[in-house]
Amino acid sequence: MTNLLTTSNQPAAPSEGEALAIAQTRLNEDWLAVWIGLFVFALSLTLLFGIDLLGWTITTSVWTAPSKALAPASKFYAHLPASLSLIATYFFLLVVLLVSAKALRADLKRFAVGFTAIFIVSYACWFLGSWAYIAATPDKRPALKIAWSLNLTNESGFIIALLAGLIVGNFLPGVARALKEAVRPELYIKTAIVILGGFLGIAALEQRQLATSVIFRGICAIIEAYLIYWPIVYFISRRYFGFSREWAAPLASGISICGVSAAIATGSAIRARPVVPIMVSSLVVVFAVIELMVLPFAAQHFLYGQPLVAGAWMGLAVKTDGAAVASGAITDALIRAKALAATGVVYQAGWITGVSATVKVFIDVFIGVWAFILAWIWSAKIERRPGEKVRVVEIWQRFPKFILGYVATFLIVLAIGIAAPGLIPKVKASMAQANLFRSIFFLMTFFAIGVLSNFRKLWQEGIAKLAAVYVLCLFGYIIWVGLLISWLFFHGVLPPTLKG
Amino acid sequence: MTEPRVAEELKKMEGEYEPLLPVERKLIWYTFTTGVVLLAIFVLISRWFA
Repeated sequence: MTNLLTTSNQPAAPSEGEALAIAQTRLNEDWLAVWIGLFVFALSLTLLFGIDLLGWTITTSVWTAPSKALAPASKFYAHLPASLSLIATYFFLLVVLLVSAKALRADLKRFAVGFTAIFIVSYACWFLGSWAYIAATPDKRPALKIAWSLNLTNESGFIIALLAGLIVGNFLPGVARALKEAVRPELYIKTAIVILGGFLGIAALEQRQLATSVIFRGICAIIEAYLIYWPIVYFISRRYFGFSREWAAPLASGISICGVSAAIATGSAIRARPVVPIMVSSLVVVFAVIELMVLPFAAQHFLYGQPLVAGAWMGLAVKTDGAAVASGAITDALIRAKALAATGVVYQAGWITGVSATVKVFIDVFIGVWAFILAWIWSAKIERRPGEKVRVVEIWQRFPKFILGYVATFLIVLAIGIAAPGLIPKVKASMAQANLFRSIFFLMTFFAIGVLSNFRKLWQEGIAKLAAVYVLCLFGYIIWVGLLISWLFFHGVLPPTLKG
Repeated sequence: MTEPRVAEELKKMEGEYEPLLPVERKLIWYTFTTGVVLLAIFVLISRWFA
């Protein structure tokens, strides 16, 4: 969704040339996410050979005294001052992302300035979210010597980062303009998802049967996005709101499948003008933010007894990769905290996020196939273009490449664990280190989504009618059908527990 | 190229309604029906075998 959205300094609808550049940029961001994710993953795996290359990475504990909150990840680097660990983490990410920015032909100076601000604000939000009175779960309060807490876990830092981003995006246009070059939520979240693959590989090693079951159910659940959501949204847009085919098809894909990527792929498949998927994408992200702020809390309240239903629901109902996986992460934290407080059960962390990511990734896999089918129907049946053929290679061209990275890290961890079970504890420690970077990329995603969500600008563009379809379909249909289908597939499937 | 404003685009659509073609109706109906049938099959499979 990078650059697709409106910041106060940008027009809401880019020109055709800009849109084509955006499409090109997205492709590059996909591959870059794979390489950055694999790079962090590979560095973390050096632990298997006794070389601790990422142990200096900063970690933040739930704190009551700020001075004790930060520390390097590994005992090997325990002598390192926390401030130095934080600076080292910043410089590592700055260098890696500057190389990426160079590949994206971004303005490096502006990118460095933007990234620096994003990193500082995002990590400050994480730090604040780790304050014991906000984050501590009931079982941790005695150790922290506090009588009460909001029980939000340190993942509340994600919500704080989102709010900070929304403030910048909507009230500080000058700041949003200054950060623009580094506000790349798609790059950040896709990198995080590649790293997440390794983390889920560990979960799969420990619970193979459950992991197989989750993957199978995840594949089943995605038919909903394409076959049950899409035709209804398309029909409502066409029949009741009078949208033309050019607008209705990308709108249906944006609302039903995976927001931005699907809207762009569909727009391109039916030969819509670039402005159409661009506007749809803008709308998708704004509503994804609303979902992100509402659905995890609803899931915590109503679904804490069925955590994986909640995870699948986030993957199916929340549009855009970033917001969906981010919602999964928040739901993971909130439900584990609530389950502990209400029933004393401690669910293993990561399974809810894993289900959200799995469902989302499978949805993404089929975007190219869906675009191909629509392209064929449009060219052969709806807007017949003599002599025009749809090429199968377009399926590959539209395939979200970051998924290859996600699958690679997942399979590598799985293969190591199966081939050498004795190495599993070391692989686990490696993934724990890589996971620290996943959290930071998540954080920056939240902040960046907020910065890009300019509600006022969209309204000024006259997007009310599009928003009306979105509200009706999302809150009247998609959320509820998504919940039903998540329930059908994941009801009774519970994550492993640590105690209780 | 001038950038079209969405408000103008949407207003224009009100005056130029494109009726649903039979092929669109088929697309909607077949897709939805296939989805519901597959859903039922997969739910059964996931309950019995997974």
